Amino acid sequence: MTILQRRPQQQAVAEPHRRGVTRRQRPLWLLAPGGVLLVVVVAVPLGLAVWISLIDLDQYTLRRWVEAPFLGLGNYAESLDTALLHSIWVSVSFAVLATAITVPIGVAAALVTQNAYRGRAVVRAIFLIPYVLPSFVVATVWRTMLQPDGVVNAWLGGLGGLWLSGPRSYWALVLVEVWAAWPFIYLMALAALQSVESEVYEASAVDGATWWPKLTRVVLPYLRGPVLLACLLATLNHINNFTLPFVLFGAPAPEDVTVMPMLVYVTSFQSLRFGLSAAMAVVSMIIIAIPLFVYLRAVRLDVHEQEARR
Amino acid sequence: MKADVTRLLPRPLLVIVTVLLCALVLTPVLYIVLASLNSDVGVASGEFWPGTLTLDSYTRIWTTAELSTGIVNSLIVCGVTAMASALLGTSSAYVLVRFSFLGRVSILRGLVGLQSIPGTLMLLPVFVLFSSAGTYLGLTVIGTRWGLFLAYLTFALPFSTWVMVTYLRSLPRELEEAARTEGASTTVILWRIVIPLSLPAIVVAGIFAFLLGWNDVLFASVLTRPETRTAAVALQVFGTAQEGGALPVYSQMMAAALICAAPVVLLYLLFQRYLVGGLTAGGVK
Amino acid sequence: MRSGRMRLALALAVVTGLVAAVAACGGGDGGSGGSGKTLNVLIGANTQYPQEQQAWQKSIAEQFKAQTGAQVKWETFASANDELTKIQTSVVAGSGPDVYAVGTTFTPTAYATKAFVTLGDQEWQKIGGKDKFIASTLGISGPDEQHRIGIPWVGRPFVMAYNTELLSAAGIQHPATTWDELTEQAKKLTNGDQHGLAVAYKDNYDPWKFIWGMSVQAGNPIVDGRTARLQDPVVRKAYETYFGWLTTDKVVDPAAVGWTNSQAIAAFAEGRTGYMALTSALAAKALDAGAVKGKWRFALLPTVPPGAAARPANGVEAASILSGDNLLIAGYSKAKELAFQFVKLITDQPAQLEIYRQLGQLPSNAAAAQSLQSDPNLKVVVEAQLKSKATPFSGAWADVQLALTNAVVQSIPELAKGSITGAQIDGRLADAQKSAQSALDRVK
Repeated sequence: MTILQRRPQQQAVAEPHRRGVTRRQRPLWLLAPGGVLLVVVVAVPLGLAVWISLIDLDQYTLRRWVEAPFLGLGNYAESLDTALLHSIWVSVSFAVLATAITVPIGVAAALVTQNAYRGRAVVRAIFLIPYVLPSFVVATVWRTMLQPDGVVNAWLGGLGGLWLSGPRSYWALVLVEVWAAWPFIYLMALAALQSVESEVYEASAVDGATWWPKLTRVVLPYLRGPVLLACLLATLNHINNFTLPFVLFGAPAPEDVTVMPMLVYVTSFQSLRFGLSAAMAVVSMIIIAIPLFVYLRAVRLDVHEQEARR
Repeated sequence: MKADVTRLLPRPLLVIVTVLLCALVLTPVLYIVLASLNSDVGVASGEFWPGTLTLDSYTRIWTTAELSTGIVNSLIVCGVTAMASALLGTSSAYVLVRFSFLGRVSILRGLVGLQSIPGTLMLLPVFVLFSSAGTYLGLTVIGTRWGLFLAYLTFALPFSTWVMVTYLRSLPRELEEAARTEGASTTVILWRIVIPLSLPAIVVAGIFAFLLGWNDVLFASVLTRPETRTAAVALQVFGTAQEGGALPVYSQMMAAALICAAPVVLLYLLFQRYLVGGLTAGGVK
Repeated sequence: MRSGRMRLALALAVVTGLVAAVAACGGGDGGSGGSGKTLNVLIGANTQYPQEQQAWQKSIAEQFKAQTGAQVKWETFASANDELTKIQTSVVAGSGPDVYAVGTTFTPTAYATKAFVTLGDQEWQKIGGKDKFIASTLGISGPDEQHRIGIPWVGRPFVMAYNTELLSAAGIQHPATTWDELTEQAKKLTNGDQHGLAVAYKDNYDPWKFIWGMSVQAGNPIVDGRTARLQDPVVRKAYETYFGWLTTDKVVDPAAVGWTNSQAIAAFAEGRTGYMALTSALAAKALDAGAVKGKWRFALLPTVPPGAAARPANGVEAASILSGDNLLIAGYSKAKELAFQFVKLITDQPAQLEIYRQLGQLPSNAAAAQSLQSDPNLKVVVEAQLKSKATPFSGAWADVQLALTNAVVQSIPELAKGSITGAQIDGRLADAQKSAQSALDRVK
């Protein structure tokens, strides 16, 4: 704490000479390292992926992939004939649902660990465990627990049923994803809570506000930006989660849980239709990007506050 | 600490929520612990309470998988990724938040858009790119920790940048302006003011970048060689059963999962004090 | 203030250390490329016998070093998917392991990529001649005798396991040899908590092997040239029999709709099941660790199709798919001569017997297999290997297999309810036929 208070003085001591940096001089070079990386490791491969989606790349042309026949939009036309749209629907609905469930859990967890008490460090570490366990372990564990003669059905008694096949498999996927992913929201909310100044709490305490109005009117507004961002990123992560459904249900998966990454993976690495699968992935990327940008505009995450403009 | 004033929730509610959440997390974890002490046949047949208790699997995992190499590799690659992406993310976010320029909003949106690219789409192209670096430039990328680090850093970067963007916005700019008038350069401002003040967010961004690499199997399995395997890939070995063959070594897998989770939980315990701090101390007045 | 400096210094030290570690590796790894004196070999990891596998690898590497002076660098893959990804990425990039050990059913797909060395007479001579192998194991090495890429390495034929105590208690003298007989025996063995058969309906690899086996025994090879024959009374009968064990005959634990192969083995190992319907010699270790220790034996899978007392004239006596591992030599390899020498070494009798002793993998070397006939339990497995039949050699086989399995996966909800209609089966078969045929249409 004291360090932060003393920073400005130290600043003055360390940098006595003026360099005359004005506000007009924008250090855009700071964006360069990240930019170069993103271009080399994401943009170039992405371009390659789009190229693959236009050619007939499969087990027969794999070795000489540069010479694979050009198909134009052929793969795209074929991808719409497959279960792709169904898969995108499954992925998106499951992802939104999982996010909707994890947000209250994650925010509640952040709130209960905000104030210090004995053993808080342990509780915070416990909350992190689901996120730290590798997906493949989480999925294997739940798979054994959810099998027809597994422990979940033993506890549920008459309410038990078939969790890994048929319609309920969808809910099994939501359940396991929620279990594994809520600490993400928790961590984001926890970081956001740190930006709430203690004076804010004290002020509302003076007002005599009880905990509920204090929470909803004073504290939660601080969480809005980070949690909205967390929702967005969490949803995208759910949509693109491959390992969890793959280990949980295996391939081929029941139709109720044939999520998009599974379809793409099976098409490319089991049926070896790389061109088709790249086209599928590009189509779903576009379909997902549209609501994504609508959301971005609606929640105004990317818009500067007024004061930031200069 | 004036606990009574700043407490967010009434005590009974706090206790109930904490207990519920701990139960939610710990029940499956307890299952993992018990399964790690059980026999493979017991786990496969769906036992919760082990029929026989044995610590055998904790000694046997070390020969079944290259677990120790894996954990060391994971710690190194993910540790460097976490630090690099947190630092790069902070500096990028600083520019994106504090300065206005053409294309700023597009960059911000593009960074989110990048998160919607499926990993399964990128796997083959990234591999081709990395291996052609070997063919055309004479750089060995595949199989080295560098290659993996580059891939993870890039995938983590949009996320870290965004976390820092949302955090830096809520950060008052008085300190920076004071420093600017004192003649401090951007680097100095970043290093001396922005980074110390945003430690909680940096830690979060770092944790996520770390875990992104820690949990990845898809890229690590093709970009590594046996000596650079990460823990997550080493763990995969436990999930396999020979086709039509025999039981996967469930109890060893559970034991290995716990052992692999332990260093991350420990690291988190070490770093979590930085999660608190920032502005709560009243650094800006 | 001081603590701030300290922390900064500590952080810097950690960063420097980690970066140095990354860099150290980046530099050290560069030399392993095409030095010509190193042979990279990719094989599957064996989690059942990890120490034994390491010992075997070490011993082979030493022998190879003594023979040729070259190093063997082992790489292992964890799962079939891991293996597929590794092969595909290596083929695209034109670099990677020199020798691959792949599952037999993957060989047709590998052949379709044309990325592996086709063995002519000269090449076969280099590895010790075709004749040293059990003839049947060459059945899935290539589309015909002139175009073989796979060198048989080890066998893992499928068999049944049965509980000797339960069978004799039910008055059954011999394990079943026809599918109908198996169903009848299973009915006798089912009694309250005890079930006749353990079948893994939820497994991703098991179901199609039953369907293929029953169909080929009735004279339908599923893939006929470029035509898929899934909408066929024989295939339908196979699915009906396979599902019927659960729905009409009720000789399988209802929980089996959620079982993978390992769970079925676990159920059998508990001693309350008469037969484990599909397993291999590798299961011996798990079975001996369970309650059935000393009370189980292997038996051949039935070879007479369901609904028949004898195999029809065009039926094939297929006791198992031809299962095991083939060795492939990468076309891009810069160490092909070394690769041939290596392949010769591990398919010669001493190494083949050694891998059997260490890891329980059956030899593909005929002389080595002959010497194992003395063990009665193993005799059955060796016989199963001799009676194994290759699945169709088509680049589209992976898709056909996927379609056959998918028909089972999508039927599980009905199976769980206890009944599946003929119309439902027909619908699933129509879907399967469509996707199998479209894959076959694409064969180049």
